[in-house]
Order: sequence, then structure tokens, then C-alpha cells
Amino acid sequence: MNQKEIFVAQFDSIPAQFPIQGEARAAIHNGIDFPTTRDEKWKYTRVNSILESSFQSVESTLENVDSFKLDATWSYLVFVNGKFNQTISDDMPDGVSMTSLAACNGDVKKEMLSKLGSLIDFKKEAFPSLNTGYFEDGAFIKVRKNTKIEQNICILSITDGQGQAVNARNLIHVESGAEVKFVHQFEGLDNENSFTNSVCEIFVDENAHADYYLIESEGANTKAITNTNISQKRDSNFTIVTITKSGQLVRNNINMAITEPGCESNMMGIYFTDGNQHVDNQTYADHQDHGCNSNELYKGVMADRSTGVFNGKIMVHQAAQQTNAFQSNQNILLSDKATINTKPELEIYADDVKCSHGCTIGQLDEEAMFYLQSRGLGKEAAHRLLVQAFAQDVIDTIKIDSLRQSVEQFIESKFE
Amino acid sequence: MSDFFSIKNLRASIEGNQILKGINLEVKPGEVHAIMGPNGSGKSTLSSVLAGREDYEVEADEVTFLGKDLLELAPEERAREGLFLAFQYPVEIPGVSNINFLKAAINAKRKHAGLDDITAKDFMAMVKEKQAMVELKSNLANRSVNEGFSGGEKKRNEIFQMAMLEPKLGILDETDSGLDIDALKIVSNGVNKLRGADRSFIVITHYQRLLDYIVPDFVHVLFEGRIVKSGGKELALELEEKGYDWIKEEVAIHN
Repeated sequence: MNQKEIFVAQFDSIPAQFPIQGEARAAIHNGIDFPTTRDEKWKYTRVNSILESSFQSVESTLENVDSFKLDATWSYLVFVNGKFNQTISDDMPDGVSMTSLAACNGDVKKEMLSKLGSLIDFKKEAFPSLNTGYFEDGAFIKVRKNTKIEQNICILSITDGQGQAVNARNLIHVESGAEVKFVHQFEGLDNENSFTNSVCEIFVDENAHADYYLIESEGANTKAITNTNISQKRDSNFTIVTITKSGQLVRNNINMAITEPGCESNMMGIYFTDGNQHVDNQTYADHQDHGCNSNELYKGVMADRSTGVFNGKIMVHQAAQQTNAFQSNQNILLSDKATINTKPELEIYADDVKCSHGCTIGQLDEEAMFYLQSRGLGKEAAHRLLVQAFAQDVIDTIKIDSLRQSVEQFIESKFE
Repeated sequence: MSDFFSIKNLRASIEGNQILKGINLEVKPGEVHAIMGPNGSGKSTLSSVLAGREDYEVEADEVTFLGKDLLELAPEERAREGLFLAFQYPVEIPGVSNINFLKAAINAKRKHAGLDDITAKDFMAMVKEKQAMVELKSNLANRSVNEGFSGGEKKRNEIFQMAMLEPKLGILDETDSGLDIDALKIVSNGVNKLRGADRSFIVITHYQRLLDYIVPDFVHVLFEGRIVKSGGKELALELEEKGYDWIKEEVAIHN
């Protein structure tokens, strides 16, 4: 057996529940290879450390997850090591239905299967294929037409135990005219060398408004790959904000298919790295139809020997006239040894569009540091103020107050 | 000697060029000293070195502030001890609110003095009072530090910060340059209101005009890195009338 076979074989004891899982398993066993740095999209991110690891399924004894809750008033769907834990999960608010993938039956199952895997190419890409073939559970969430959901919903995905691999799979359908905010939070504990491989498919129907906050608090030695694939219909509004707090190797892939006119799409992100951390954000804004706006802003602060990657692509198809698409990636390096590789890309086939992209890499402004210090602020406090100021415009796009505050506190704690 | 503020034989160089070549200065509580000099005489280097900018190599027989060795202190420690530098070119810091930053600065100073944080109520009352003093529009106090401020607004903001931080020694680095007469009056009024028996100022300027409004107790002439002449306020008038050339000639004769 080659390395891929050995790696994939570790998952083969997981029973397949749906036909699509068989298809994905066949694809990964028979054809797809895992990416190497020779693949343009993976040029700066090596996955060998994942493929060389051995994983196991750990039985978690976790009974109380309150300490992970950023705001106890949200409605939580708790997944521990990839399995839904109903006992410590909350009921969904009116207008939201949720069925765990493993428990889907009858019409719900039919509906789920008609959507599952439709936004992601699980027969071509190795990690989505691995996820599709071997996920054990996940949430299928539906938000009812024309309902405004005031209650925030949090998918809390916890990895507990050493060498634990989790293929987290979620499916979200926001029906037309509905309005909702999701937090998808990844937490790791006692998880030396664990691995998160997540796929989340999000369907945003006509005129719907959805916010999705991806909060990554992975364990210090965790490798995490997340895939978030979105499909937006006419006049819908979707915002994704990715906050990477921790994790040894984190790779986020966001694919935003903007399929019909009048859509508004926002992709925002903050990554703060230190030690030997590696954080890679890949985004794809796919403008398929006319009159849509997409806006993208990623900011990174890198310390120590950490490395960052940003690769953002805006694709404007011929039919996508009157597109406004903006993208910006800004980075501050706090150390001589920190690295960022940033690559903005535009591919435009329409002739009446407004697009821009840009990236900056710099250091903290020494003049500003001296100014703040000369007023009595210590070095750490001055650092903190400048970094907060740098990140503020991304933070301000978070529309849940308590979440925004927790991100601000996180930045503060980085400089204590 | 005075324990308040005393400089003996202060020398500073940058990239091998000696700019300050042995400055001596003594300031007592409540005094206002003006330091005048032509361009390139070392005025801004002096203020930068005193505030603790790291770009210089500094040596001195003594620089004492309130009994402490000033050169041993980090910039923030100097500020907490009661030194304040009003910058010639205040930096713009987008995203950092003027008010939040000042509150943090005041609390850092209070902590250093063993005091509790200022209450929100006291702080806001103080902001209101001090911004009226320098006629700073209240929306400026709430904006990002100096961002989008006009030249005059930036200088007023410096004096506003000085008023808020209540230093024992204020160093004004060419605060007057670029100001029109009206702005100069406002800034000077602000400084004059802060004058008191236990607060001193070093006013660094190129132009005598400022000293019409902030009347100094002493005037020193800085030339080629040394204080070459000291006197009362009438020295400033003499400089205004005759320019700096006669000083240069005098120095040439002595050498």
C-alpha cells in the first residue's frame, strides 16, 4: 500500500450510511491523489504531516460544554468527535428545523440527499472526498421561508482526544426571504495531533440574508482543513467571517457561487498566528450572473516563525455584467522570521464590471509606537492598540455583539 | 543643583554624526525656558532625545528629572513620571480613538502613581473641560488620533493631550511652526493656562513670534549642538531683530 492507501484505510472501518459515501470512497481509493506543493492551490501548504499521521476514534466522556460557549444565550448544536450529542444540545428556535444527518428519515432524508455533495466536487478533490466518504454525522439545518430568526445558532464542533480525526459535515438551507446568523465554532481539547476535515454546504435562496461566522479555536497541535461552499440565488445576501484563533495547520477553502442577479456577498477574515503556526485562506468568488457585489477583506498579523497564505480569486463570467467585486488582503509581520504568501487573482470575461484587488505587507508603524509610548502606554499596550486598530474594520463586520466582543478580547489576550 | 530637571554635557549622535555636542540646561519648577536656534542646530534632536526616541546614541554626564536618571527610563516611563513632548509632526493613527488612547495613557500614569483607574464620569468631565480650553471641537476628540486633522487641529490636539495628562515638564517641539496667528493664540492660551508653580516648560522654536504669547523666563540659543547664549526674554527680541547671523559670528570669534 502506498501512503495514501495507508492513510485512507484508517477510515475504512467507519460504516457508509448513504450511497454518496460509497461513490466518494471509490473515488478516493481509485483515483484522487492528495494535493502536494506542486499543485498551484497548495503551493505553500504541505499536508504530509496529516497523511503521515495515524488516527483513531476516541470515545469522549465530555458531558458539559458550557466552558466553550462564547455566549450561553445562543442555541447550540453540539458535535463531539463528529457525532451529534442531543443531550447537551439546545432546541432550535421557531422557524428552524434541524435533523442530524445520521438520523434523517423519509422525506427529510430525500431532501438532504438531493443537496448533499451538490456544491462540492467530491470526486475530484481529495479532502472533500475523504469527508464525503467517511463523515459519521452532521447537521442538516433548514430555515423556514420569510422568517427572521432572532436567536443565533451555533454549531459547536469539539474534538476531544489524542489522534482524533473528525470529518465534520454540515448542510444549511436558508429558504427564500429568511434571515439568520450562524456561528460555526471548532474547539479542540487534549487533542495532540488531531485532525479536522470539515465540509459545510450552504444554500441561500432568493432574497434570503445569512451570516456565517467560522470561529477556529483548534488545539495547538491540530491540523484543520475546512471547506465552505455556498450557493446564492437572486437578491440574496451572504456574509462569511473567518476568525482563526489557533491550530497548528489551518487551511480554509471558501467557494462562493453567486449564481443569480442582485446578490451581495462578503468574505472577511482575521488570522493571528504565532509559534510555528501555518494558516492558509483560499477564497473563490464566482460571479456567474449580472448585477452582483462581492466584497472581500482579510487581515493577518503574524508573529514568531509563523506562516500565512492568502489566495483569493474573483471570477467574473461573461454573463456577469455590472459586477462590483473588491478584494483586499493586508498583513502585518511582527517578526523577521514570519512569512506571508499572498496572491490576489482576477479573471474577467465580462466588459462592464468594476473589480479591484490588492495586498499589503508591512510592520507596525514605529512612529505610531513611539507616539503612544511617549504618552505613557507600555510597549504591549501600544502594540495591542495598533493591532486592534488594524483589525477593527474586519471586526466591525461581525453583527453579533457578544461575538464581536469575544474577538476583541481574543486580540487583547494575544498581547498580555 | 536642582533636582527638578538638569542636563549636564548631553551629547547625541545618529549614524555617526554628532548632533548635540554638550548641552547644559537647568530648569526649576514653574519656569519656562525657550530654546531658539537656526535650522539644523539640533533643536528637534534635543526634544527627541529627552522623550526617549531610540534612533540616537546618547551620552551625558547627567540628565536628571525629579531625582531620576532620565536616560535610564523607557519613553513610557518618562511620560508616567511627568514628561510630555508635544510633537512637531504629530502622527496620524487610523483606528485608534483619541479618547480611548488618552484614557489608557491616563490610567497607565495613575497606575504608576499607585492610583486606581479614573472613573468614566471624571474622565468625561475632564475631556469636556480641557477640550474647551484648547477650543478643540468635541468630534475631533472622539475621532482616530490625528486622522484627517488639519495642521492647526493636530497641534491643538497635542496641547489637549498635554492638558489631560497634566505633566510636570512639557516640551513643545516647534509647536508654532505652520500655525496661523489665530491658531497660535489658541495654542499659546492653552499653554499659559497650564503654567503653574510646579509645572515647567521647554519651548523649542525657530520663530520669536511664539514668545509674544508664551512669555519665557529664559531664552537659550542653540547653535551647532551647543547652547551658545542664554538670557532673559529680551534675547528673543534681539534675535528677531538681528537674525541668527550675529550669533554665528560671535561663536566664530570665540573659536
